[in-house]
Amino acid sequence: MPATLQRTQPSPVTLIDQLLAEQGSLQTPVARFAEIHDRRPDLEEHYRQLIPLSKPGSGEQYAFEVSLDRCTGCKACVSACHSLNGLDEGETWRDTGLLLGGDSAPAFQQTITSACHHCEDPGCMNGCPVGAYEKDSDTGIVRHLDDQCIGCSYCILKCPYDVPKYSKKRGIVRKCDMCHQRLAIGEAPACVQACPTEAIRIVKVRSQETEVRNLFNQQSTISNQQSAIPDSSITLPTTRYVGRAVPDSAHAADRAALVPQHAHWPLVFMLAFTQAGIGLLCGGGLHPPSQTSPIPQTPFQILLLSTAIFNLGMIAATLHLGQPLKAWRFFIGLKTSWLSREILAFSLFAPIPFVLVALPFTPDFLFKDLFSSITSYSALPLGLLAVFTSVMIYHDTHRSLWRFRRSALRFFGTVAVFSALGMLINDSSAAISYGIFAVVIMWKLFFEIFFLRHVRTIEWSPDQHSARLLIGPLRKIFIARCALALTAITASIFNPWFALPILLVAEILERQLFFQSVQAPKMPGNFGPATH
Amino acid sequence: MLKQLLKQHDGPLTRDLVQEPGTFGLGKIPSRLKPHSTVSSICGFCATGCQLKIHLDESGNAINLSPHPGYPVNLGMACPKGWQALDPLDASDRATTPLLRDASGKLSPVAWDTALDAFVSRLKSIKETHGHESVAFLSTGQIPFEEMAFLGCLFKFGMGFLHCDANTRQCMATAVTAYKQSFGFDAPPATYADFEESDVIVLIGSNLCIAHPILWQRVMRNKRTPQIIVIDPRATETAQAATQHIAMRPKGDLPLLYALAHCIIRDERTDAQSISNTSGFEEFSEFVKSHTPQAAAEATGLSPEAIEALAATVSQPGKRVSWWWTMGVNQSYEGVRTAQAIINLCLITGNIGKPGTGPSSVTGQCNAMGSRLFSNTTSLVGGHDFADPAHREKVASALGISPDLIPSQTSLAYDQIFDAIENGKIKALWIIATNPFHSWIDRARLDRLREKLDFLVVQDMYHSTESARAADLVLPAAGWGEKDGCLINSERRIGTIKAVRKAPGIALSDFRIFRLIAARWGCGEMFSGWTDPQAVFKILRDLTVDRPCDISGIRDYAHLDAEGGIQWPFPESQISNLKSQTPSERRLFEDGKFFTPDRKARLHFATPSPIPEPTDSEYPFTLLTGRGTSSQWHTLSRTGKSKLLSLLAPPSAYVEIHPDDAAALNLKNNGTLTIRSRRGEIQATAYIAPTVQRGQIFLPMHYPEVNLLTHPSFDPHSRQPNYKACAVALWVR
Repeated sequence: MPATLQRTQPSPVTLIDQLLAEQGSLQTPVARFAEIHDRRPDLEEHYRQLIPLSKPGSGEQYAFEVSLDRCTGCKACVSACHSLNGLDEGETWRDTGLLLGGDSAPAFQQTITSACHHCEDPGCMNGCPVGAYEKDSDTGIVRHLDDQCIGCSYCILKCPYDVPKYSKKRGIVRKCDMCHQRLAIGEAPACVQACPTEAIRIVKVRSQETEVRNLFNQQSTISNQQSAIPDSSITLPTTRYVGRAVPDSAHAADRAALVPQHAHWPLVFMLAFTQAGIGLLCGGGLHPPSQTSPIPQTPFQILLLSTAIFNLGMIAATLHLGQPLKAWRFFIGLKTSWLSREILAFSLFAPIPFVLVALPFTPDFLFKDLFSSITSYSALPLGLLAVFTSVMIYHDTHRSLWRFRRSALRFFGTVAVFSALGMLINDSSAAISYGIFAVVIMWKLFFEIFFLRHVRTIEWSPDQHSARLLIGPLRKIFIARCALALTAITASIFNPWFALPILLVAEILERQLFFQSVQAPKMPGNFGPATH
Repeated sequence: MLKQLLKQHDGPLTRDLVQEPGTFGLGKIPSRLKPHSTVSSICGFCATGCQLKIHLDESGNAINLSPHPGYPVNLGMACPKGWQALDPLDASDRATTPLLRDASGKLSPVAWDTALDAFVSRLKSIKETHGHESVAFLSTGQIPFEEMAFLGCLFKFGMGFLHCDANTRQCMATAVTAYKQSFGFDAPPATYADFEESDVIVLIGSNLCIAHPILWQRVMRNKRTPQIIVIDPRATETAQAATQHIAMRPKGDLPLLYALAHCIIRDERTDAQSISNTSGFEEFSEFVKSHTPQAAAEATGLSPEAIEALAATVSQPGKRVSWWWTMGVNQSYEGVRTAQAIINLCLITGNIGKPGTGPSSVTGQCNAMGSRLFSNTTSLVGGHDFADPAHREKVASALGISPDLIPSQTSLAYDQIFDAIENGKIKALWIIATNPFHSWIDRARLDRLREKLDFLVVQDMYHSTESARAADLVLPAAGWGEKDGCLINSERRIGTIKAVRKAPGIALSDFRIFRLIAARWGCGEMFSGWTDPQAVFKILRDLTVDRPCDISGIRDYAHLDAEGGIQWPFPESQISNLKSQTPSERRLFEDGKFFTPDRKARLHFATPSPIPEPTDSEYPFTLLTGRGTSSQWHTLSRTGKSKLLSLLAPPSAYVEIHPDDAAALNLKNNGTLTIRSRRGEIQATAYIAPTVQRGQIFLPMHYPEVNLLTHPSFDPHSRQPNYKACAVALWVR
């Protein structure tokens, strides 16, 4: 048979090559003139009713309106937004999730589609240190200036809806701009164009500052914490969800998913090291400035070390920026952004340790003693001010775990434990120093462990979520953090210096848990398995 | 100046997103994605058959797509699968070269020459030793019908084998058999416009919102404020969007439909004119006499009053009632009779052949209908019958082959092929563009059967599917978007797909692979005219003359594109009658004439039988399966490759369970539930919601573990597997 084949068939190798060549060629497209010719978009007729005929008047702005009666969860809006805006692989400016209506029949399940809410009082914009967000005065669209962005990600923490997304590839965040380029010429945004059931439209809405609406079309107007639906009063989102009533029992489908948040390692090191540096410096690195004699050896060692630790923290901070070279514009946000203020406060404090290190080696100059005194005495207030701005950064996100009292306890607590350590190193002969050191550590630890009581609450809450993360997926880190803190106390008995590295690691882990166990408010997500 | 320095409103990052008019009717498009030209192509996932406008660069390479506004099916819309249709082509696990299992048992890359040698020599030697029934293929509803026809004709007429089937067995076999028996031909009567023209839309075993979102769009466009009734054990997305949800017991559909017929006939809400076009009405009336609503209460879990009310709704005089079913009916051990019970209701109430009426199956795959007409597996190519000597003669002469080459014997069905592997009759299997090692019911059996096969060939886009990993030889195939051909959707509309990307490596379209095999096997001469898909299209078109599916009026692919797709039938005579006035939406049986010899529709019925694997004390729960989300397709071999589509679906198996059952098991939301059937045991994350009834759980079929549980029972007429109901036990570890 094969012999016959050879004779009667063209050589099979030739056919393979021929077919591979065919497969490798695409038809050169010939665009018909009628098609190329600039014409109105084909879908114009379809979406004409879905966008306003005129621009918003005064006191008005554009907003998304979503009909819950019409949305059945096909999610074409997400794909269309991705494709028609040319977003990166896996990048979405619109998301869908699910609201579940509790245990009683008939079942309530509602897909929720959302993009940026173009808030009246945008958290992203208020938090941005460099003014990379602008709220358009005509349309109310909150626009992100991609070339202004420094990639600090603070807007991500500030947005209660998890809207801005960081692009590692680009070193900036990006987000929905309501297809303002399309709206400007009477075309509908991608999601509006693409919804098969016309569930998304653009409407003009009036300012709601006098009355805070619940985000969804729910009976009660007060937002219900256990639903895991973000609180509208923070940023006044403008998206309107209309139609099908959402029962008060409704909650986000991904509420129970125990997924630890991003650790933000540069921030972990920045916070832990700057606070440790400030604490150590103020506790044991300052020497009586009036003496002209050389500083005693131990305080000087502490001074050197605290300077190094503090500046490691400062270096870590810059690693958190996607575009560090653009950060010089930080002062633009001073009016509203705690991040701007933090940068300012740290800039004021940062020279102090260097000056203190340098002073003993400088030749005498006029008012050197006075200068030394002022520098020394300003270290503590400026240091505490800097830490205060750090606290406010997190407090201002309105996240439960990061509320003022809780963040302050942690951040000032770190300052306190390292101050106590500084004192102990300086004067390891006094038993009281050991006592203070141990008590401060135990005191800080107590609050962290005491937080776990929220696990026992019956209803879901952000604190319960955080506590469950701590005893769940983050359990090992939590145990290590506690064990290391206790080890530091023990180690200090042998030699206070031994406690320093142990305590640093313990505080780093504490700060990792601070970031990873937070409940970050967001729009309802899809149902998914718990990671643990 | 200072202002500019302080605020960068422009720059490279900003310019990345700047849009300009895309022309081609697209509206604004990011400048870097502005197309050089566009072509149309039918989406390659489900049988809705949406047309996509593919955006091309200057070399004809696809860079983006959008749904086609001018197409009568989708009217400018698509679901996420359609929008992301290009994504699966870029996957890193594409099969780029043939792979042959070497002596060490490892799949290694080989040249086409070697692969073809292995293919031909192994199959020829198996044929010589074990006969022409020892090799089978399992194909797909996912490739153009020109390729299906090539495969079927090559395998049966050229290579001389007999047994073959396609994954349409898992999807449409029930509807096919029901139509054939009732109408005399496999002919879905409706057109999608009927969704918009109904007064009562009944969806039975169909989660249209999720499985066919673009058809739900057509429902939403209905201006007649229709009643939308969903009959489904589960409160699906569609059930919640409907005006009424009939939550009956699993597999209570057949008793329910007979009880409805009982009420309608008893109350004389029938249509005499329509009944005169049927045969068997008296027997049917007699049969349903005992099927009272009271008698159906137990099987359906519905009150007699609810059944009476439903019967009144679906038989309102003067109202247009349309019935649509999907896998809830088809994938059943008595699906054919269930589908026919729906057909019977339409026939006796006159809801057929008129706008807004009809019994219609909403098919699963993009080319299920193409497979039914042209795959040459169950039916002889072109809508013919293997058993009919006149048909064999006609096809043989049209193809220029000897009638002796056409077997009169029919092929074994999918499940029977596996039985034949089990008992040693079939020694080699060729799998094309499907993934039975994931999707087949009770799939663990396939792993055992693998050992019994001397040779397993898998022809697929990916080397990573469960089936490809089990193969001895993997043939790398080009995918949708890398080849030309035609698909036929659920409403019988034929449309074209286009090659808009080069295939990776040395992958070839299935069509070209079949050409190579034909040449190497030694039957290239028989297919000398089968040079390209359009040439084959014309051969197949000419074969359909005088059959109900006559499409002799279609000139070529360009004609199909110009008309916005063409529904069969479209005989040449129609062109002269209608000139270019052919309406873009046409339904069948408007004249009350069917395709049976006496032109009357048959009323088929049978006493409902018990569920094949009922629950008991050991396995007290009923497992339902179905589609999960609109972004997932079947075994995820394609949609799982799209990052975006993956974001829109739960990443791993989850199980819907009623809150009361969860409480009894002390199961928390997102907790892990262990599910065991007599076939296997799996774990899934608990999704606690009253969307399922007590005593039932639901698992989406997309996750590979699900078919470790399902019970291998089959409809006796259609051989379609009964995926939807089996008995399981649950516990929390």
